[in-house]
Amino acid sequence: MDDLIKDLSAQEYKDGFVTEVAQEFVPKGLNEDIIRLISAKKGEPDWLLEFRLGAFRRWQRMRPPYWGHLKLPRIDFQDIIYWAAPKRPEDRPDEIDPALLETFDKLGIPLHEREVLAGVKPKGEVAVDAVFDSVSVTTTFRRTLAERGIIFCSFSEAVREHPDLVRKYLASVVPVGDNYYAALNSAVFSDGSFCYIPKGVKCPMDLSSYFRINASGTGQFERTLIVADEGASVSYLEGCTAPMRDENQLHAAVVEIVVEKDADVKYSTVQNWYPGDAQGRGGILNLVTKRGLCKGTGSHLSWTQVETGSAVTWKYPSTILKGDYSSSEFYSVAMTNNWQQADTGTKMIHLGRGTRSRVVSKGISAGHSENSYRGLVQMGPAAEGARNFSQCDSLLIGSECGAHTFPVIRSHNPRATVEHEATTSKISEDQLFYCTQRGIAAEDAVALIVGGYAREVLSRLPMEFAVEAQKLLSVSLEGSVG
Amino acid sequence: MDRRVYVLGRDSAPQYLRLEAGEELSMTLVIPPGLSGREVLEVDLNGPGASLDLSGVYVCAADERVDLRVLVRHAAPGCHSRQLFKGIVGGTASVAFDGLIYVARDAQKTQAYQENHTLLLSESARVESRPQLEIYADDVQCSHGATAGYLNPDELFYLRSRGIPEAEARRLQMIAFLAPVLSRLPEELIEEIHAGLS
Repeated sequence: MDDLIKDLSAQEYKDGFVTEVAQEFVPKGLNEDIIRLISAKKGEPDWLLEFRLGAFRRWQRMRPPYWGHLKLPRIDFQDIIYWAAPKRPEDRPDEIDPALLETFDKLGIPLHEREVLAGVKPKGEVAVDAVFDSVSVTTTFRRTLAERGIIFCSFSEAVREHPDLVRKYLASVVPVGDNYYAALNSAVFSDGSFCYIPKGVKCPMDLSSYFRINASGTGQFERTLIVADEGASVSYLEGCTAPMRDENQLHAAVVEIVVEKDADVKYSTVQNWYPGDAQGRGGILNLVTKRGLCKGTGSHLSWTQVETGSAVTWKYPSTILKGDYSSSEFYSVAMTNNWQQADTGTKMIHLGRGTRSRVVSKGISAGHSENSYRGLVQMGPAAEGARNFSQCDSLLIGSECGAHTFPVIRSHNPRATVEHEATTSKISEDQLFYCTQRGIAAEDAVALIVGGYAREVLSRLPMEFAVEAQKLLSVSLEGSVG
Repeated sequence: MDRRVYVLGRDSAPQYLRLEAGEELSMTLVIPPGLSGREVLEVDLNGPGASLDLSGVYVCAADERVDLRVLVRHAAPGCHSRQLFKGIVGGTASVAFDGLIYVARDAQKTQAYQENHTLLLSESARVESRPQLEIYADDVQCSHGATAGYLNPDELFYLRSRGIPEAEARRLQMIAFLAPVLSRLPEELIEEIHAGLS
């Protein structure tokens, strides 16, 4: 019986394989020497090393946040390897290891530009930055993008080639001491993506980062920085997977987005880290800080997230609406099954006049999972005529799970409007009966109803992502009915 | 049904209530102008089929500090609860509303609703609303809604265009906004609150 369950849960997470590839690590543990070593390995300038050390000293004085509706296993920060990278063959340092190519191939991430151009993937072109453990393996379509002045590369490269830009924007949205995990990330961040869209440029293709944890005993600490200059626009996608292991692995990322005047950024995530097995063993601890700054007048930032993976999710993509008449949206589907826990939501901080925001959050909990929405909508004293609407729905499947809603509404302005509503319910017997009576199996019917429930959010995703997300939802639900 | 009205600062309002099987309670809290302080109310729906109809009104026009905390706990199946809190905040007053609906694992067939609406009248007025749902049973219908807003200028224009002076028109708007809660109060209390709006 146990084997059967093991088989089943193994089946459910199809990206749980491990790639056999020669890797190099830094020693386990965290201290200033480790940080110096990571920095040296990446050949970083002094200012960045100082930034890291400053963050580390700050982090040592901080306490982990306790307010989440989560039961976090104790994390031993000295028991983690902070940097792991696949070795490059010494004679051909520019080539990508075929094992890595195969890995990303298996995950459906195209790293061959030619293949994409030849129309094998017919639906549009996507430039990909593939990050394997602590380093970026490759970034595709760089030349095409460079022709328009767009910079899209790994964070390490950006530090080498565009230090002025990185220095200007790094930690400008998420300050070093913002929270415990952001400070940790600032100290040890490995690789990630950097993206700069110059004035007035519309990015001709979707940009995408794909994160893969492979090595055991490591954590992933990537850092992403997206800057859209005046009038620029870009759609950015992020995906992630990890192997199945009995240990909890830590993922503490920071994403910063700067949106200048009249620029438009769309950020989509399909988060599918390994969620742990049916007994709640293993899985990724996903403790992430994502924040965007709508800096200029009329700027726009849209978040879309589909959260199906991770044992623990602690994530609040937020927007600071500083520019007058700037706007932001947050669309989220968070799905938890088995023993997963999610505490996720958004913050909309309205500072400028006439700013608008919209929040649509759909939580689905099944099995023994706990799923919480936590959010803040704040209207500052200058946010005259600002407006927010939030809708948070929760769907419960099975009587062992929990669904919670913890919004905070703070208004300091007599000419701002905030509206929040939330509902919690289960899939109604009537809906199920209607489907099964028409010959649809109960499990398919649930998938169908959940798909309809999450549709408002899924329809915001780029086409291919939407299909993947729909599949993920039905896979994650397997075995939760009856 | 048991109907109770408590004016805070005058009546001694309960801080904890327990409803047993089939019990029904309707209760209204009034926070009159000029009153500051923290009000905590906890209600346990302890027996099947208990029903709670709770509402509150706050009028804070000067420099009041009001902190209102309500916890409604559904511990038994088939209970109903409905909450409606409305208020007006002006001057340099500041109001915090913290309302939690808790539904325990066995409290199936629960129906629980909560609403909190606030109007801000001045630049220095503040409101913070934290409606919360914590739910551990699946066969439930629960919802909450919260808004923070201001007097609708279109309505004001409508009234003024019909010859009603601005101050009077604004007063009418406030009365209309609070009406769903005020209608539950005795006549002389309604008069008193109307008189306090300006």
